[in-house]
Amino acid sequence: MNKQSLLQINLTLVIWCMGVLLLQSCGSARRSEPIIGPLALQSQQLENGRQVFMLNCQKCHPAGEAGLGPPINNVPLPGAALRFRVRSRAFALGIGRMPSFKEHEISDEQLDDLVKYMKALRRHKTKPVASAKRLFPFLA
Amino acid sequence: MVKPTHLLLFCTVIFLMSSCYKLRGHYGGPQSFATQSRLIKPSDVALPAWYSIEMVATGLTYPTGMTFDEQGTPYVTESGYAYGEVWLPPRLLKINADGSTTQVAAGDKNGPWTGAVYHNGFFYVSEGGELEGGRILRIAKDGKTTVLVEGLPSMGDHHTDAPIVGQDGYLYFGQGTATNSGVVGPDNYNYGWLKRYPSFHDIPCKDIELAGQNFTSDNPLTEAKGDKAITGAYLPFGTPSQPNQVIKGAVPCSGAVFRVPLQGGPLELVAWGLRNPFGIAFSPENKLYVTDNGYDTRGSRPGYGSGDVLWAIEPGQWYGWPDYSGGQPMNTEDYETPDKDPKFLLAKHPNSPPKPVAVLGVHSSSNGLDFSSNSQFGFQGEAFIAQFGDMAPEVGRIYGPVGYKVVRVNTNTGEITDFAVNKGKTNGPASEMKHGGLERPIAVKFNPSGTALYVVDFGVMPMTEQGPAPKQQTGVLWKITKTTAK
Repeated sequence: MNKQSLLQINLTLVIWCMGVLLLQSCGSARRSEPIIGPLALQSQQLENGRQVFMLNCQKCHPAGEAGLGPPINNVPLPGAALRFRVRSRAFALGIGRMPSFKEHEISDEQLDDLVKYMKALRRHKTKPVASAKRLFPFLA
Repeated sequence: MVKPTHLLLFCTVIFLMSSCYKLRGHYGGPQSFATQSRLIKPSDVALPAWYSIEMVATGLTYPTGMTFDEQGTPYVTESGYAYGEVWLPPRLLKINADGSTTQVAAGDKNGPWTGAVYHNGFFYVSEGGELEGGRILRIAKDGKTTVLVEGLPSMGDHHTDAPIVGQDGYLYFGQGTATNSGVVGPDNYNYGWLKRYPSFHDIPCKDIELAGQNFTSDNPLTEAKGDKAITGAYLPFGTPSQPNQVIKGAVPCSGAVFRVPLQGGPLELVAWGLRNPFGIAFSPENKLYVTDNGYDTRGSRPGYGSGDVLWAIEPGQWYGWPDYSGGQPMNTEDYETPDKDPKFLLAKHPNSPPKPVAVLGVHSSSNGLDFSSNSQFGFQGEAFIAQFGDMAPEVGRIYGPVGYKVVRVNTNTGEITDFAVNKGKTNGPASEMKHGGLERPIAVKFNPSGTALYVVDFGVMPMTEQGPAPKQQTGVLWKITKTTAK
């Protein structure tokens, strides 16, 4: 692959990253029970994940919304990326950073539960159809 | 070719500069305490299904707490003093059926009055004591006032906090610390009190041994340019500490829960090592709980990422301030700021701090606390907490407004769930969202039957470049009831 092709691929990647970040970051992260309704947890794994979230994530991302840290409900990271994010420490230009959570703090099993819960929380939002009905009542 | 690191940096910059991810800055224009109009629109507040909210009283100036007399009539405290250095007479007001108020008592310039509890014909009011030190006042219905406790160390960042009466005939209340994390610094000058009381500092409740950590800062007390001060923990500004130096404990002290007999008597220490135990309540099982405001990212010894805490209080315990946050040691990378690592100030710790019941949002200012005890209201046994909302950027930088709502906590699991929040795409105070919902909830209290939850809303307080700018006559008393059996 020549230099020109690599540059084009990287530029495409940059544009894709920007698009994902900007579009997703502007989607609402609100999953608050009074607004969306309660999140029904259908399995013990999800219950366990919520416990892990409350102990470790809630204080900086209340209910997955922005707080000390950015919102996480509206960022469509896959499970592997979420796991990497929890395990790795990150600074962002010296103005904010998330601690890493080691295995003695969140075990691998707990991390699986947490990721499952975070995905369930992300999916727990006003359904597009319902939104559309609000905007276009004649659809009802 | 674009290197992956450059790509990552570029994306990060875009991520941060995007309007959806910008850090919260100052807002509200120039600092002013003037009265301003406030839209009140209960439908802008979201609640769980079957609950509704209504406005009970409006036009209050810096309301902080409330109580009920034997007829179920609500009374509200107005703080008088507020952050931003505004000084008004604190007041105890009766809320009449039509929403108007009748003054029961007023204080001088020794606010803030942070809350009240009514018991057997008397109101017990916590007088914050920013100018003269904290007091507990006993006020009869005719306004006659006597002092139950005085000389509390309240001239600093935090004050004497709201009281509650226990079944044992004692009055329980919290006392906040003088500083953010044990060291007096320029941030305390900015708060206003270091200039007034340059020798004021935190007082431990029991003898402690210092590690000898010292902090060099600008000296705002002198005109000399570039003048520096070196300050140790639990010592006056500009006084360094020595390794293994013993600081004698005393009562009253900073960052503690006390109790005193209702008829008066010696002050007793219940628990210490707290930072600002603002909210206090007994659960239906008669267990004592407090809310505690976590560390800020400010001053000579800033900490990062310290959540507010709901504690179950065990008598005699030390809860970790100034070296632990929510039961975790602060001398770890989790709590460090870009240029400082909050190392331990104490050479020895009185005990290993307990685990918290729940850790709430960093900078949420989780304050007033009460428990649901009536199945008719629902969520029986759960704790309800008023979150005043962040004071960013003074307390630290954040990505989005934190607090400005009422949450409920399952004390068995530590699960935190929103209960009353403002509607909108994001969270925040009503004035920023340009609607008529909640502004800064500071206290919650169930009525005597437990069928209604009252929310004391402090009012509009933007964080301007000159500091907090609380607006007079913007406080509101809300009432939440369950409308239909689920």
